[in-house]
Amino acid sequence: MRSNTVGWLMLAPTIAILGIFGIIPFIYVLYVAFHQWNPFGASPDMIYNGANNFRRLVFDAEFLTSIAFTMKFAFFAVLSEIALGYLLAQLFMKEFPGRGFFRTIHTLPLIVAPIVVGSVWRLMTTPSIGIIPYLLRNWFGYDLNIGRDATTAFTLTVIMDIWHWTPLVTLTLLAALLALPKEPFEQAQIDGANRRQIFWHVTLPMIRPAILATVFIRLMDALRTVDEVWMLTSGGPGAATRYVGLHIWKIVFPKTDYGYGAAISVIVLYLTLVMCWLLYVALVARRERKRTF
Amino acid sequence: MIRKSGIGIAALAIGVLTSVIPARADFWSDAGAKYKGVVLHGVTESTPPSNYIKDVLAPEFEKKTGIKVQIETTSWDQMYDKAIKDMEAKTGIYDMVYIEQDIIYAYLARSFLTDISKSLKDDPSLKAPEFDETHFTTFANYFKNADGDLFGIPMEAFIKVYLYRTDLFNDPKIQEAFKKETGKDLVPAKTHEEYTQIAEFFTKYGKDNGMELWGTTAQAHTGHAASWYEFFESIAPTFGVYNWGIDANNNYAASVENGGQMNGDKAKAAIKYWLHLRDIAPPESAASTWTEVGTTFAAGRVAQGLVYGENAAWIASDAEKSKVVGNVGVALPPTEPDVLKEVEGGKGYLGYYDGGAFGLPVTSKNKEATLLFLQFIGQDSVQPDWAIAAPRITNTATYDDPKVLDMDKKLNGYYTMLKDQGKLFAGAPPFPFHAQVREATAPIFYKILLGEVGPDEGLDQMAAAAEAELKNLGYRK
Repeated sequence: MRSNTVGWLMLAPTIAILGIFGIIPFIYVLYVAFHQWNPFGASPDMIYNGANNFRRLVFDAEFLTSIAFTMKFAFFAVLSEIALGYLLAQLFMKEFPGRGFFRTIHTLPLIVAPIVVGSVWRLMTTPSIGIIPYLLRNWFGYDLNIGRDATTAFTLTVIMDIWHWTPLVTLTLLAALLALPKEPFEQAQIDGANRRQIFWHVTLPMIRPAILATVFIRLMDALRTVDEVWMLTSGGPGAATRYVGLHIWKIVFPKTDYGYGAAISVIVLYLTLVMCWLLYVALVARRERKRTF
Repeated sequence: MIRKSGIGIAALAIGVLTSVIPARADFWSDAGAKYKGVVLHGVTESTPPSNYIKDVLAPEFEKKTGIKVQIETTSWDQMYDKAIKDMEAKTGIYDMVYIEQDIIYAYLARSFLTDISKSLKDDPSLKAPEFDETHFTTFANYFKNADGDLFGIPMEAFIKVYLYRTDLFNDPKIQEAFKKETGKDLVPAKTHEEYTQIAEFFTKYGKDNGMELWGTTAQAHTGHAASWYEFFESIAPTFGVYNWGIDANNNYAASVENGGQMNGDKAKAAIKYWLHLRDIAPPESAASTWTEVGTTFAAGRVAQGLVYGENAAWIASDAEKSKVVGNVGVALPPTEPDVLKEVEGGKGYLGYYDGGAFGLPVTSKNKEATLLFLQFIGQDSVQPDWAIAAPRITNTATYDDPKVLDMDKKLNGYYTMLKDQGKLFAGAPPFPFHAQVREATAPIFYKILLGEVGPDEGLDQMAAAAEAELKNLGYRK
């Protein structure tokens, strides 16, 4: 009983912080989501409108498009980051001159603020002044123009995200790889397993929790990306890069439609949870169940 | 002996008097003494006039009063985001917020701002002797309520002008080539037809001669509101479509069917004209906002263009940033033949008079000290240097300052145009739903720019979307 009290007391600050900065704002967002509230409308009052905001978003083509684009963005960005991050982690496991230096250089993008990343990429990709259009034009005769071509703009947002966040994946997987025991690998080699078999049957199962945690983190980040993309494309051309985070920002700030923006936020949170849960079931729970039988 | 003792007595008397009577300094140090050590926070867009406040006026004010002023200069979107959040949540972080003349109506509707005129009347001890509201240009009217009280100290005011390259326009070879091709003299355009001809000529000239030169600028970003603004505030008015084509006196009608003009014939002609210009403008135009249009002109990549006046000074005079120093001409934007007459007759406007003010949020925790700072930046004596550093004029006396007159020559009469023809330009219409209608219609506008929807059909859709949003907001019955 006494130890329980001490435990609760120790937890109290964390619970208080979580309550103030996490739970209370979330409850408020939920509350706003069930209201029609545009403080800059003719009537700035908050009016309860039941589930109307949620009904509205089912028929909102802009919202549905933004969800589709976000899924596409998250799929390509996260998958590429995991693959590239793993390869780089393997590379940094090996001994080579200047390894420490390259590891440090590699992590530099992580310390750059997203808004700066977006600005720099915009500078690099603007026709007439950017280095990337210049090189593409001179080397391949290709005119890159993110203001006109939706595919190019989408691809660039993915590449920018990969550039910014792959180091995070590398660091996480590098830590996981360094923590692995040597014995299973030696046993596999003695049993005559080749590199591919060792990867699929020894390495991958052992670092799966680290991969899963990284995928969750990156997936959540990718689903709510705003600032980098805003700086690079402002959501354009048209709606090609108007990802759902940007869509919510536009609904809540310039349009000041707080009720509807809150409803979309709640749905996006729900979708994120569902996606993470599905991933967990697909990659971990099913295997755990198999192992039990 | 008597003389010596007389001097001694006089010196003693002076000594006694100076020790008894408190030192009398100027108004600023006296008024600021009470608030010494206070730190004022302001947020504004990173523009030349704002940077001048941050770099020059704020330190000067601190020196005189002991009140520290921290000005945060950030992007247009961030500035609004932060200011609105702060005032909405009543956190009181900011003592000063930048108010663009289009957002003021929304802020007033929400009672976000302090009545500056009334505050100074209520507490005369805060009133600076050098500050006089009547010295502001008529642009200050945008920041007043129905009673004529001021809610923001004007800090920038400029018009969006037609800039052209005098070196190109005065080049005899180019003049000859133009004459040969069009049968006309190469002079700044007065009509849309003339402007299009010049733009087409220079784009072709640049291509034929292997030059990085195009005929016109275009603020035609395909995902940023800058393009929407260029069309509705700079292009559509020159075709006779005012106030975005929305008739506030007719139940906020936007569509022609209901009495609006957003999808009228004039608007449809305007968008086709502008889309053609966009197509013959430099490739960066599809990703250009107001800033990039200025840099495109400054880089010598265009022969002419519509450029915000705040950029005109550095484009025309700062050799570190501009390749066209000394070669910048200024003119009124081209119009449809009848529009200029209509505007001169007091109906409508032919371009955008942009500007902003510093307002004092009611949530500020340092209202009195902020009122001092706002008067400091509003007094006549600080205006000329500010007007030279950034081409903005908010006080009538500034026009006659010798330094400003000198700069006017370098800018080929930009200040004179502002003074004499500023009346032909206008700010945004007094709509409190500015951002909401823009955001409701902008996605369709971007589709027009990308060719996903035709211009006629797109404007029809935009007019319908505007009316739906106005209804949703409760303005349209």
